Amino acid sequence: MHPDCKKIRHDILIASRASGHGHIPTSFSIVEMLYATYRSMKHDPANPRSPDRDIFILSKGHGALGLYCVLANAGYFPVEEVKTFGAYLSKYGCHPDRRKVPGVEASTGSLGHGIGIAVGMALAFKLQRSPRRVFTLIGDGEANEGSTWEAIMVAVNVGLPNLTILLDFNKSQVRSLQIPNPAERLKAFGCDVHDVGGHDVAELLAALQAPARGVKAIVANTIKGYGCRTMEENIFEWHRKSPDAAQYDALLRELDAEGAAA
Amino acid sequence: MRRQFKDTVTDLAGHDDRVVVILGDISHYLFSAFQEKHPSRFYNMGICENALISVSAGLSAQGFHPFVHTIAPFITERSLEQIKLDMCYNEFGGNILSCGSSFDYAWDGATHHCYGDLAILRLLPGMEVIQPGSRKEMDVLLRSQYNNGRPTYFKLSDHPHAIDVDVRFGKGVVIKDAASPLTVVTAGPLLANVLEACKDLSVNVLYFPTIKPIDKELIARYRDTRFLVVHDGFGLREAINEVPGLNTAYHGVPDAFCVWYGTVHDIRREIGLDPAGIHSVVQQAAASRR
Repeated sequence: MHPDCKKIRHDILIASRASGHGHIPTSFSIVEMLYATYRSMKHDPANPRSPDRDIFILSKGHGALGLYCVLANAGYFPVEEVKTFGAYLSKYGCHPDRRKVPGVEASTGSLGHGIGIAVGMALAFKLQRSPRRVFTLIGDGEANEGSTWEAIMVAVNVGLPNLTILLDFNKSQVRSLQIPNPAERLKAFGCDVHDVGGHDVAELLAALQAPARGVKAIVANTIKGYGCRTMEENIFEWHRKSPDAAQYDALLRELDAEGAAA
Repeated sequence: MRRQFKDTVTDLAGHDDRVVVILGDISHYLFSAFQEKHPSRFYNMGICENALISVSAGLSAQGFHPFVHTIAPFITERSLEQIKLDMCYNEFGGNILSCGSSFDYAWDGATHHCYGDLAILRLLPGMEVIQPGSRKEMDVLLRSQYNNGRPTYFKLSDHPHAIDVDVRFGKGVVIKDAASPLTVVTAGPLLANVLEACKDLSVNVLYFPTIKPIDKELIARYRDTRFLVVHDGFGLREAINEVPGLNTAYHGVPDAFCVWYGTVHDIRREIGLDPAGIHSVVQQAAASRR
């Protein structure tokens, strides 16, 4: 595990324990994707509204805790603040609000919305002949929503090589509507597909930085809860849960052991 | 009114390179000149109303003024959550222009009727809700609102009224003041039938091309009268009642699907919104003391 990504997972656990709010496994599955994306993007944490910045939209808004910790790691705000996650007057809701959190470009939460907004922004940059790019991260649960596929069809038809869709394929839908082989589906929809290991920063960076041949779709094969075996093996129990003191210690130990093994 | 939409938007696009037209595979032929003139700002994007709204919100977020257009029930009722979240909650804005109004597609049946749009959209924070009744009203209101960055809904009809009314955004209009204890309120093209019905009746008539924000000042001036809202849709009566303590009644769409075909005139006659039907309801209301 990349040391920065391990640190971010630590921050996620600390904030979840302090705040009493969860969505840890979904946040853990996207840490490397977020980390690699922000490393590939043109952005300036000191000036979050800089007019030539690239855009990232977390379409699966329930990964907010992961996004906050990645933004904090990049320097947008102190990670201490994220401990207020979900509290009454906190800026850091369990789904992100663009009007409150620096670096958040769209308020999301209901699935299948952020990707459509991302398509509109990418189209805007195309019309402006701007080099700005748009990245959006969707979940495999979110791939159940029809509006997700509407947005992909429109993006491909309009022609947006400045758009990258990252799919967190963490198999969260095994008991519901699991989309088998999403890489083939995205290819069939006309995307330029990269099928990569979702916890391998180098692989993700290579896919993110490869020249675009149309709408780029990166299928990141991830493990929900990656880094803590207890969560990996009990994804439904942990989907939306904050650890108690004993669980917290155990999860930290598992995470540290994972780091040592890597 | 659709032709006016095309004329106005074509004119605006000539001066403002941030104007973008997005169609849901309707009115394509109507916009062929626009497409020829501004090919990069014309998208017949597809029959995917959820995406049409989200994409418009994204364009708006980056400084464009999208005009998204398709049939009323599909762009409003089907895409309500996209309008609520992507345009309103995100404060990205955009212009939504529907066609078909309440019963323009009478012959197509209840799937194509849309009389709930004004009512549901006026519930969304930040939303502007407009029902122009004529080509002129359409032109004036579109020009005044299109580039303010707010989400704005225009309910268009292919059956405009022919009455010359001076309109301004957010303002109601006194069409007739008979110093009567009964005030008839309406909006949109139905004004034609309402005026025809009320021509021999001593009642006040108020007209509201803007449903949200509703002109509370004008309503308050008539608060000592009884209100009868005559409208081929929901939302206007609810808007009127933003002024507390009013006595309002409603004559319009029943709590049932309108399962006949024919034309808009057939549907209106069936539900009592033709001049004769309105006349009898208004006359009854004027005669009652309550």
